[in-house]
Amino acid sequence: MTLFIQQLFDGLALGGVYCLAAIGLTLIFGVLRIPNLAHGALYMLGAYVTYFFLVTVGVPYVAAIGLAAVVLALLGVLMERLVFHPLRNAPHTHHMIAAVGAMFFFQAVAQALWGADFRRMESPISGSVTILGAQISWQRIVIVGTAVVVLGLLTWFVKRSIHGQTIEAIEQDRTGSSLVGISPSRVSMLTFGLAAALATVAAGLVAPINLLSPTMGDALSLKVFAIIILGGLGSLPGAVVGGFALALAEVMTSTYVSAAAGEGIAFVVIVLVLAIRPTGLFARAVQR
Amino acid sequence: MAPTRAIRPATTVAAALCTGALLATSACGGGSGSDSDTIVIGYSGPLSGGAAAYGKNIQSGLQLAIGDLNDAGVTVDGQEYRVQLQSLDDQYAPDAAATNAQRLAEQDDAAVVFIPHAGGIQAAQELNSSRTEFLLGAYSSDPKIVEQGNELTMMIPPSFESYAKPFVDKLTEDGQTRLGLLGTASEYGQEWTKLVSDEWNSRGGQVLTDNSIDYATVSDFAGPVSRTLAENPDVIFLGGPSQPTAVIIEEARRQGYEGSFLIMDQAKFEEMEKFTDPENLNDSIGVKPVRDYDDPGTDDLIDSYAEEVTKERPVTSEVALNYQAAAIVVTAMQVAGTIDDPTAIREALPDALGQVDDRFHVSGFPTEITDAGHLRNADLEAAYRTPEGEYEYLSIDQPDE
Repeated sequence: MTLFIQQLFDGLALGGVYCLAAIGLTLIFGVLRIPNLAHGALYMLGAYVTYFFLVTVGVPYVAAIGLAAVVLALLGVLMERLVFHPLRNAPHTHHMIAAVGAMFFFQAVAQALWGADFRRMESPISGSVTILGAQISWQRIVIVGTAVVVLGLLTWFVKRSIHGQTIEAIEQDRTGSSLVGISPSRVSMLTFGLAAALATVAAGLVAPINLLSPTMGDALSLKVFAIIILGGLGSLPGAVVGGFALALAEVMTSTYVSAAAGEGIAFVVIVLVLAIRPTGLFARAVQR
Repeated sequence: MAPTRAIRPATTVAAALCTGALLATSACGGGSGSDSDTIVIGYSGPLSGGAAAYGKNIQSGLQLAIGDLNDAGVTVDGQEYRVQLQSLDDQYAPDAAATNAQRLAEQDDAAVVFIPHAGGIQAAQELNSSRTEFLLGAYSSDPKIVEQGNELTMMIPPSFESYAKPFVDKLTEDGQTRLGLLGTASEYGQEWTKLVSDEWNSRGGQVLTDNSIDYATVSDFAGPVSRTLAENPDVIFLGGPSQPTAVIIEEARRQGYEGSFLIMDQAKFEEMEKFTDPENLNDSIGVKPVRDYDDPGTDDLIDSYAEEVTKERPVTSEVALNYQAAAIVVTAMQVAGTIDDPTAIREALPDALGQVDDRFHVSGFPTEITDAGHLRNADLEAAYRTPEGEYEYLSIDQPDE
C-alpha cells in the first residue's frame, strides 16, 4: 500500500510536468497546425536559462523560473517570426524540417554555452513529508501544486481574457477570425511565446530532481507527442487529462509489470489510440 | 566506459567502401593531409549528442598527453616530429566511427586511431587489418574487443569482468543476501547486470527484480528507486554516467535506504562526490579515484587538467588512462623507429611500456600487454568507501586472457 501511495504521488508529479509541456505543444498545433518537433529543445533551453538565473546570477528559485519563462517566451516569439512565419504558405513538410533544424541548433547552442556534461540545479525546497507511510519530497508537492495553479491561470486566460480568446478563435476558424479583425500573425506569436514559457516552467520544476544536459528534451519530446495524440491534437483538456493519464500509466506499469514495459507504454498508447480512436479522447474535429 | 552496440556489418562495409572510393578519387588531386614532420594521432568519439561529455573527456586526456609529449620533444629514427591530434565526431554510432577511422588513416595518415566505444571498435576492427592498416586504441572495458583476435588492437582499460567477483566478495562479507538491480538499460549496463547477478547467485544469494532504467530518459528517479526498495535489498547494483548515478543514490538514501551500493565502472566516485553529499556514497564499492594514485605523474595531470581543460570537473580514469595510452603509442613509435607502420608499432608495445617517461605514469600504469593486446596493470585496485566515509583499496585478481 505504501508503495502504491508513493508511486501515485510520483505519477502525479510527473503528470504535472508532462501536462505543462504538452499544453504548449497542443496550443501550437491548434493555432498553426505545426507539429513543433523543437518543443523538447525549448524545454531544455528553459531548464538551462533557469539554471543561469538561479546559479550564475543568484536570484531566488521562483524568480529564476519566472525570468527564464520571460526569456523563453521572447525566444518563442522570435522563433515563430524567423522560422515558421516565413514558411506560412509552404507545404507542411517544410515546417517539420525547419523544426528539426531548430532543435539541433538549440542543442548545439546549449552545448557551446554550458558544455556537454550534466549539470545539477539545487532547489531551495528540500526535505520530505510522510503521507500514509510514503516519503514524498516537497519538490514533488510543489510540482503538482504549481501545475494546478498554472493550469488554472491558463484556463482563465484562454476562456476569459480578450487575448486568450483570440487563440481559441483562431483555432476554431482562421478565416472567420481574420474577418472579424483578429490578426493570425499576432496570435501565432502569442501562442509560441506562451508555449515556450509553459515548457520553461515545466523544466524549471523538474530540473532539481533530475539533471540538465543538452539532450534532456529528447525523451520528453516523444512523450508529449504521445500525450497530445492521446488527448486529441489541439485540445487543452485533452493535454491535461492525457498528461496525467500517461504519467500514471507509466509509473504504475513500471511498478506492477516491469520497468521496460513502463518505458514503452507511451508508444503502446499511441498505437492503440491511432488504431481505435484516431482523433484522440477529446476530439475537436477542427480539420481544415 | 562504453556500452556495446550491435554493429551492422553490411552497412559498415558499404559505408566504408563508399568513403574509400571517395577518398581514393580525392587523393588523386590533393596532397596528403599531414606534413612530413608531423605524427597524426586519430580520434573518433562522440563530440556532440547525448554522450558528448564522455567523448570530450577522452579527447582532453589524449590532447594533454600530446601537449606534454611535444613539450618534451619527440624524436623517431633521428628525426624530430610534432604530434598532432585529429578528432572526428561519430555521435557514438559504430558505422560513423568506422568511417571516421578509415578517413583518419587514409587522409590524415594516422597510424593509430583511438575509439572509445565497443560498437565503434568492433566496426573499425573489420577495417584495420585489411587495405587500410591502423593500430586501434580501444577504450572500452568490454572483453569482447580483444576476444576477436584482431592483431592491431590495443585495449586500454581493465576488463569489467575483473570487477564483479571482488565487488560481490566485499559486499557479502557480513552475510548480505538480497541484491536489488537498478542498473542502466544500455547493452553495456545489461552485461554488467548479468555478470553481477550470476556472481551473486553462485554464492546462493537472492537476486531481486531487475529494475533497470534508461538513465538518460527517465524524468524522475523516485519511482524506480521506491520499487527497488520495496523488496528490502541489502545491496543495490547500479551505475551509468556518474551524475545520474549520484542522483539515484541520493534518492535512495532520502527514501531511507541504509544498505550498500555496488557501483559499475562507468560511474566514478570523484565525480559523484561533486553531485551529491559524499556521505550518501558511504558503504559503496566502485573504481578507485584517480587522485588517490601515488604514481609520479598523478598530481601534474590533475593540475594541468584544472588549468587547461576545466576546474569544474575532476580528472577521471577516462582522462588518465587515455593520457597514458597516447604516451605509450608515441613511445612505441620511437622504439619501433617508424611513425607509419602499425604492425611494427604494435610489436614494439611490450618494450615501449618500460620506456615511457615517468610523468606519464598516472593511474595504474600498465605493466604488461597481453598477446591479445590488453594493457594491464598487475596491481589493479578497487575502492570501497566505508560507512564512515573513508576509502579503502582492495587488490583485484584479473582473469587470464
